[in-house]
Amino acid sequence: MLTFAFRKVLTLVGTMIGIAALTFVITNVAPGDPARLVAGPNATEDMVATIRTEYGLDKSLPEQFVVYMGDLVTGDLGQSIVTTRPVLEEVLRYAPATLELVFVAMTLGIVVGVPLGMLSAVYKDGPIDHATRIFSISGVALPAFWFGIILQLTFAVDLGWLPVSGRLPLVTRPPQTITGLLLVDSLFAGRLDTFWISLRHIILPAIVLSFPCLASILRVNRAEMIEVLQSDYIVAARAHGIASFRIVAIYALKNALLPTLAMIGLRFGWMLGSTVLVETVFDWPGIGLYAVSSALSSDFKPVIGVTLVIGFFFIVANTLVDLAYAWIDPRLRSA
Amino acid sequence: MTGPLLNIQNYRLDIGTFDGPVHVLKDINLTVNRGDTLGIVGESGSGKTVLVRSVLGIGPKASKVVQGSIAFDGQDITALSEKDWTKIRGIRISMIFQDPMTYLNPLFTIGQQISDVITAHEKAAGKGVSSKAARRARTEDLLDQVGLPNPAMLFDQYPHQLSGGMRQRVLIAMALSGKPDLLIADEPTTALDVTVQAQVLDLINSLVEKLNLTVIMISHDIGAIATIAKRCAVMYKGEIVEQGLTADILSAPKHEYTKRLLAAVPDIDTAAAKVVAEPAIGTPVKPGVLLEAIDLKKVYRSQSGTEVTAVDGINLSVATGEIFGVVGESGSGKSTLARMLLRLIEPTSGDIIFDGRNISGLTGEPMRLMRRHMQFVFQNPHSALNGRHTIGDAIGEPLRIQTSMGRRDIEARVEALLDIVQLPKMFKYRYPHELSGGQKQRICIARAIALNPRLLILDEPTSALDISVQAQVLDFLQELRAELDLTYVFISHNLAVIRQICDRTIVMKRGVIVEQGETERLFLSPQHEYTRALIESGRKTSRAANLSAPAGSR
Repeated sequence: MLTFAFRKVLTLVGTMIGIAALTFVITNVAPGDPARLVAGPNATEDMVATIRTEYGLDKSLPEQFVVYMGDLVTGDLGQSIVTTRPVLEEVLRYAPATLELVFVAMTLGIVVGVPLGMLSAVYKDGPIDHATRIFSISGVALPAFWFGIILQLTFAVDLGWLPVSGRLPLVTRPPQTITGLLLVDSLFAGRLDTFWISLRHIILPAIVLSFPCLASILRVNRAEMIEVLQSDYIVAARAHGIASFRIVAIYALKNALLPTLAMIGLRFGWMLGSTVLVETVFDWPGIGLYAVSSALSSDFKPVIGVTLVIGFFFIVANTLVDLAYAWIDPRLRSA
Repeated sequence: MTGPLLNIQNYRLDIGTFDGPVHVLKDINLTVNRGDTLGIVGESGSGKTVLVRSVLGIGPKASKVVQGSIAFDGQDITALSEKDWTKIRGIRISMIFQDPMTYLNPLFTIGQQISDVITAHEKAAGKGVSSKAARRARTEDLLDQVGLPNPAMLFDQYPHQLSGGMRQRVLIAMALSGKPDLLIADEPTTALDVTVQAQVLDLINSLVEKLNLTVIMISHDIGAIATIAKRCAVMYKGEIVEQGLTADILSAPKHEYTKRLLAAVPDIDTAAAKVVAEPAIGTPVKPGVLLEAIDLKKVYRSQSGTEVTAVDGINLSVATGEIFGVVGESGSGKSTLARMLLRLIEPTSGDIIFDGRNISGLTGEPMRLMRRHMQFVFQNPHSALNGRHTIGDAIGEPLRIQTSMGRRDIEARVEALLDIVQLPKMFKYRYPHELSGGQKQRICIARAIALNPRLLILDEPTSALDISVQAQVLDFLQELRAELDLTYVFISHNLAVIRQICDRTIVMKRGVIVEQGETERLFLSPQHEYTRALIESGRKTSRAANLSAPAGSR
C-alpha cells in the first residue's frame, strides 16, 4: 500500500511537469507578440524592445523554458500587469473561495447523487427511477449560466430567501483567515452568524455547479448498482440470509462505488473549470472570476497561473481517487 | 418428526420474458427425507438451478408459480414473506455455489463475510448478536471444519488471495454456519480442477456423515453426483424424467435422455475406440514434424517487480496429422503455452518452428500471412463470437481479412463451411444468441478452418459444453481431422477426453512438462507422481459414472 501511494505521488509530480510544459508551449504557439501586447497599442518600438528584454522574451525558446520552469519550481508565477503584484499571491488569495465552492458542490453531488443512484437501481423501472432519470437528464442538459440566473430570479429576487450574489456582504467582517474557507474559518472563530451568512451565499452557486456533476454521479452509480446487484456474490449473500438492506447498502455499494469514484475525480476537474461561468454569474470572488477579468485585460501571467493551479488541484484530486480505489479494493494494493 | 423434510408437489414455474412466459419447470414432484442425499442431473437449461433456487426463495425475479407447492418441514414456502425467509435462508436451508471465484464478495475479508452471515442468523433468531471475539472464534471453527489450514490467518485475507479450492471450502463453511437441515449444492465442483474436485467431493461426503446433513446436489457431471448421492433425479427440459436410486439409474437407465447422457460420458479407464483410424489415403508419406517448440519460456512481471514463470523451458514437437494432447490443471501454463505457439502471446525466450520455419522472430506482414496456416478454437464459444455479428459475418471474417475473395465467393465458402460443420446453410443469417452451445462451438470451428489451416489449436474446446454435446463435438473433431488433413494441439483438463482422442500427450504442472509420451502408455503406466494423482482423481468420478460399463474394460 505504501509503495502504491509512493508511486502515485511520483506520477503526480511527473504529470505536473507535463502540464507546466504544455502551458508553456500553448502560450508560445498562440499568435501575437506578448511584448507588444504588454506594451499596449500606443507603445514605440523602443518600449516594446525594452519590455521584451525585461520579460526575457528575446531569449531562445529553450532558454525561456528553462527560466520558466526554474521560476515555477521556486513558486514564481510572474507578475500581473494590471495589479503589478505577484500572480502566486493573487491566486492564493482567490483560490480558497473557488475551492470552498467546489467542495460544497461536490459534497452535494455525492451526498445526493450516490443514494439516489442506489435507490433508482434497487427500484429499477419504478417511479423513483423514472423521476431520477428526468432529473439527471435536465442536470446534464441545462446550461449553468441560464440555470444560475433562473435560480437567482426565483430564490433571491422573487422570493427573497437567499442573497443574489457574492460571498459575504460588504458590511460583514470576514473571520480571521486560517484556511481561507469562510465556512470553516467562521466555525473556528466561533462566529455562527457569519457561518450562517456565508452558507446562505454559497447555496445557489453550489447547486448550479453541482447539478451536472450530481446527475452523472447518479447515473454511473445507478448503472453500477444494477450490475453489481445481479452478480453471483449478491445472490450468495441472499442465500446465506443476509438482510436486504445490508446487501444493498454495504455489500453492493462498496463494489459499485469504484467506477463512481472515477467519475467523481473527473468531475472535480470539470467543476474547477466550470467555476469560471458560475463565478461570473454569482459574482463569486474566486480564481475563475480572476482568470476572466485577467484575460479580458490581456493579462496573461495570471491566466497561466490559474491554469496551473487548476491543473494542480485536478491532479491532486485524481491521485486521491486512485488512493481511495486501493483503499476500497484490496486487489489493487498488491498491484 | 416424521414427514419428509422437503416435499415438492406438482410444481410448475413460468418465467416472464419479452416474448411471453417460458415454462421453465413442469410438474416437478420430488421428496427429500432427512438424511437423504439426492442428486439432480441434467444439462444446462434443464431447469435444475431454477428449481433449487426456488427452494431457497431466490429464483429469478420475473418468475411466477403457476401451480403446486414446495413444503419445507411441513410449511409451504412458495409464498413466504421476506421476513419469514430470513428465518430459513442460510439457517435451515443453505446453499453452496458453482463458481467459487464469483460467489465471494471481492472487497470484504473472508472473516468478515462469514461473521456477517453468523450475525444475520443471530439477528433472525432474535437472541441478540454475540461479541466480535465469539463470532471470530466461531468463524475460525468453521474454517477449520472444512479442512482449511491456518484459519486465524485466513480470517483477514481477501478472496483473491485464495485458490479456487480454498474459496469453495470457504463457501461451504459459510453454508454450514447456520447448522442447516438441508444443504443445496449447485454444481459445487464444476469450476474446479480435477484433483480439487475430488477433495471437495470427499469433504462434502465427510460432512454429510459427521453432521448428518441432508443434501441436494445438482450437477451436469453424473460422476460427481454418483460419488455423493444415494438417490438421483434426471431433469430434462424442465421435467424430471427419471428418479430412483443412483445405482439403479446408472446401471439400468430407463429414459431415452438418461441413456444418451450415460453413453456420452467418456470413461477414463477405457482405451479410445479411435473413431477414425488413420486415413488410408492420408499422408503416411511425410510423417514430418509440423510444429516444434524449443525451450519456450514466458515470464510475467507484475508492476511491483515480482516475476512469475508461467511456462518454463518447454520443448515439444507435434507431428503432421496427429492429435497432440496437453493436460494440466488451471495455472499449469497450458493456455499460455497454446497462445505462445500461435504467437498470440510473445514468448519471453525460445523458438517456435512451424513447418520448418522459425516464426518466433516474425513480425508484420510475413507473420500475418503465416497465421492463415494456424488457427485457434477458444474454450468458451459463448464469448468467442461477437453477439452483434451474424454467423455469416463471423465465419467470413478470416476470408475477408486474409484473402482477396469477392463477396459472392465468400458467401459460397461460408455456406460450404456450414455444410462441413453439419449446420444448415440458413444459419448464416442468425445471431449467436439464437444458437446452442454446441452449435456455437461448431461455428467457431468453421471459422477456424475457413482458411484451410494446417494446424488447429483447441483450448479446452468442450469444457464449456454439456456432456452429451461434448461427445458430439469430439466425434466431429475427429472426423474433420481426417477429412481436412488437420493437425491438432488439444488442450484439456479432462483426462477421459484426452484419452479418448489424443495420440500423444504432455502433462504440465507449474509451467513444466512432468511427463510425455503415447497417450495410452501414459494412462496404463504413468511414471510421474503427478500424472498418477491426476488420473486417480479423474478416475474417482469417472468410475462412479461408468458403473454400467462392462467390468472387463477396466
